Amino acid sequence: MLQFLIRRLTGAVVIMFLIGAFTFFLFYTIPQDFAELACGKNCTPENIAVIRENLGLDKPITAQFWEFMGGIVTGRDFAVGHCPAPCLGVSFDSGDFVWESIIDRFPLTLSLTVGGLVIFLILGLGSGMLAAWKRGTPVDKFVSGASMVLSSFQIYFLGPIVLGLFVYSTGWMDSPKYTSISEDPVAWFTGMLIPWAVMATIFTAQYTRMARSTMIEQLQEEHVRTARAKGMRQRYVFFRYAWRGSLTPIVTILGMDLSALLTGAVVTEFTFDLAGVGRLAVDSSLTKDLPMTMGVMLFGAFFILLMNIIVDITYAYIDPRVRLA
Amino acid sequence: MKPLRSRSVRVIVAAAAVGSLALTGCSNNDSNTKDESKSKSDAAAQSKPVTYGDAAASTGPAAEVPGAKPGGFINVYMESDMSHLDPAQIYVSDAGQFSNLIHRGLTNWKEDKDGNLTVVGDLATDAGKMSDGGKTWTYTLKDGIKDATGNPITSADIRHTIERMYAKFLFDGPTYVQNWLSGNDYRKALPDGPYTGKSLPDTVLATPDAKTVVFKFQTPQGDLPQALAMPGYSIVPKKGDTKEKYDKAPVSLGPYKIAEYKSGKSIKLVKNTNWDPKTDAVRKQYPDGFNFTLTVDQGSQTKRLIADQGEAKNAIQFTDSVEPTQIKDVISNAGVKARAVMGFQPYVWQMTFNLDSQVMKDKKVREAITRAIPGKRMIAADGGKYGGELAGGLMGPTLPGYDPNYDPYDKVKKPNGDLEAAKKLLEEAGIKKGTKLTYAYATAPRSQKQMVIIKEVLGKLGFDAQAKEIERSTFYEQIGKVKNPYDLYMTGWGQDWPSPSTVITPVYDGTKISEGGSNYSHINDAQVNEGIQKALALPPTEAAKEWEKVHHRIVEEVLPAGPVYYAKQIQLSGSNIGGLRYSTEASYIDINNLFLKNP
Repeated sequence: MLQFLIRRLTGAVVIMFLIGAFTFFLFYTIPQDFAELACGKNCTPENIAVIRENLGLDKPITAQFWEFMGGIVTGRDFAVGHCPAPCLGVSFDSGDFVWESIIDRFPLTLSLTVGGLVIFLILGLGSGMLAAWKRGTPVDKFVSGASMVLSSFQIYFLGPIVLGLFVYSTGWMDSPKYTSISEDPVAWFTGMLIPWAVMATIFTAQYTRMARSTMIEQLQEEHVRTARAKGMRQRYVFFRYAWRGSLTPIVTILGMDLSALLTGAVVTEFTFDLAGVGRLAVDSSLTKDLPMTMGVMLFGAFFILLMNIIVDITYAYIDPRVRLA
Repeated sequence: MKPLRSRSVRVIVAAAAVGSLALTGCSNNDSNTKDESKSKSDAAAQSKPVTYGDAAASTGPAAEVPGAKPGGFINVYMESDMSHLDPAQIYVSDAGQFSNLIHRGLTNWKEDKDGNLTVVGDLATDAGKMSDGGKTWTYTLKDGIKDATGNPITSADIRHTIERMYAKFLFDGPTYVQNWLSGNDYRKALPDGPYTGKSLPDTVLATPDAKTVVFKFQTPQGDLPQALAMPGYSIVPKKGDTKEKYDKAPVSLGPYKIAEYKSGKSIKLVKNTNWDPKTDAVRKQYPDGFNFTLTVDQGSQTKRLIADQGEAKNAIQFTDSVEPTQIKDVISNAGVKARAVMGFQPYVWQMTFNLDSQVMKDKKVREAITRAIPGKRMIAADGGKYGGELAGGLMGPTLPGYDPNYDPYDKVKKPNGDLEAAKKLLEEAGIKKGTKLTYAYATAPRSQKQMVIIKEVLGKLGFDAQAKEIERSTFYEQIGKVKNPYDLYMTGWGQDWPSPSTVITPVYDGTKISEGGSNYSHINDAQVNEGIQKALALPPTEAAKEWEKVHHRIVEEVLPAGPVYYAKQIQLSGSNIGGLRYSTEASYIDINNLFLKNP
């Protein structure tokens, strides 16, 4: 297992380097003067030259690349101060250190993800299993029907409806707002409740459908039939045999969903005016803030690789056949 | 002010334009509602000449707002973060509006209840004492001015503020005073600013004692008090200057100071206990502070404020406007409308002709296009009657000397354009059918909609109209190139202060044609240039007539740009906000008078 982990981690570092190199050269070699973008009203050639110097854009592209890569490991010095490792540069737009901006936004994105995850996993897997358990009954039909309708909803559709109902019309709740959990746990919970509820509604529906279908599939597997034939109790077979087998495809999808959510639930953040990593990614790409865009991309890539490793480890835990292989 | 180019303005324009799609589509519904938008008659207050205040007008405390109560926090909605907090980098509207809360300069704008403007002393005892025919201006500092750390402000801090603007790391702020003091290559006069121990000579900027500052110019500068009232010239105390880092944590001199700043997310302002109301003739300190949320888009701001629930009752829009698609919801509901402020913005949208283009060299061609453009349709693409007003000239309603009856090309009389008159002019000019014209426009929805109208009109006039799209963030840089390949483009320009000098000089002065400059038409008319120099040397009240002459010469004789429309503003607040009024000077909600009715 240790060898497996070392191999995967080494591979991940190489992939991260390649992604970094690819995005850097892709972004920085496009025919666009980024100093012009950063230039305000007095956009004279002299001021553009000053900005180019301030941003380090007057250096050769290879020198800029190695400075960028070196900064991730050792940190870098900028006019606004020392950017400690892992330094991803300074935002063209705000002048903030990229890494600090990402880390500052991450708790919100993490709160959104974790809160939503807890709700949709409990409700989604629970109702999916219930539907599979009660297959063909009115309970199954109701759960399946509801999940089908709800899974076709989108956050940008459901979000404004919920806001209109609970915030704008009735005033029962305040607009969603992020407060640090360490600062005020109650404000954190109430501020995130609407986004969680909306996210969870859509994801719950998807996981319900997934859990139901994989459970039904598992219940038809030969090893489950064998267990039943041996006279094992229905509940034991359901949870011990079928449930464990159904987890593999769910974990795969969950890994992908989680990496997407952790790198920024863009639509959710925009719908509820929340400043998370997703919003940072969109804002930086709209303002052509290259260091910030690259930073968020690398951050996203890191989570995708990390989740892949975690999913592989989870597979090994869930399915002994994977472990042996 | 500037062309519409800043990040926040870009966002506003984009959002407004997106919204305007729907508004234009809803024009039938719109016509069922009584027109409550501001018209030319409402612009009267915004076009009175500015006066310079004496010591009495500059003495604090500012007049109380009737019924105002202290306490509570006002919530402020913004779509994005401020571009800068370092005064020397502040030029655009959002940071300028914010600056009023935390920064102070030598002078400031005082606005009466009717919107009349006076330049008064802010840190100085008055608007300034002019001598030597306007070449020398002397300022004396008020007693008892301290920054938020308790550090007393002296003339050394004023010198430091001006001198640091010569340093290379500051490039986004205004350059008027530096240019007047040291010429266009002002940076060469003090490379690295004051940070290597060097100073401007006393023949340029003198500080004979701790209370006195003397500006000495080569030519008379009658507008200095107005220039110094720009947020960009707010004072940076020498002791607290952290150079590049100052942009994130400036030292406050105003009634509020930054308690917490989360870049791109939020700002919390609390009272600056070292601000003394007796020294300030303009600002108040009614609320305990302001909570800025920098992530609420224009649509959400409007929805929240229309709904007026919970925290939105204590909220205002700062520099964003009502989303155009929701304007009808605002104006058709008396309760909501009472919480709205409306007025003209300083921007005048104009069809700028590149006078270096072979086709555009003929004035008849320029006049033909000017007459043909259907102003009403152009405004419809930008929010309709609440987004703009037909323009007859190039000086907007926010400028002293604005004449609502000035309409030499019948732009107001014929809001749908005059194609017949235009065709006749082109015939006289001998323009062949199929003559190629390139119209440059930005990749913003509003510009794209207007491009369709322009292309259609040029087509009807017999031109082979080519539309060239330019990425919106670099639009002004591209058309600002002296040898740009385009024949015509729409530009928006607004004043830096309520004086034609900040419109006519940067945009129509032939001596200012430069790479990246804002003379986008490349007009270089001897009479105009001469008139500008004459007007610049005069104090505002005397200069008004000279500016009018220059304006008429530009529009009637040269016509470097055809007037299209004056931009307008509409903003909303929550029901618990008191002291709500539109600021003529800022073109936004007046931030100085606000309080909470029930703190």
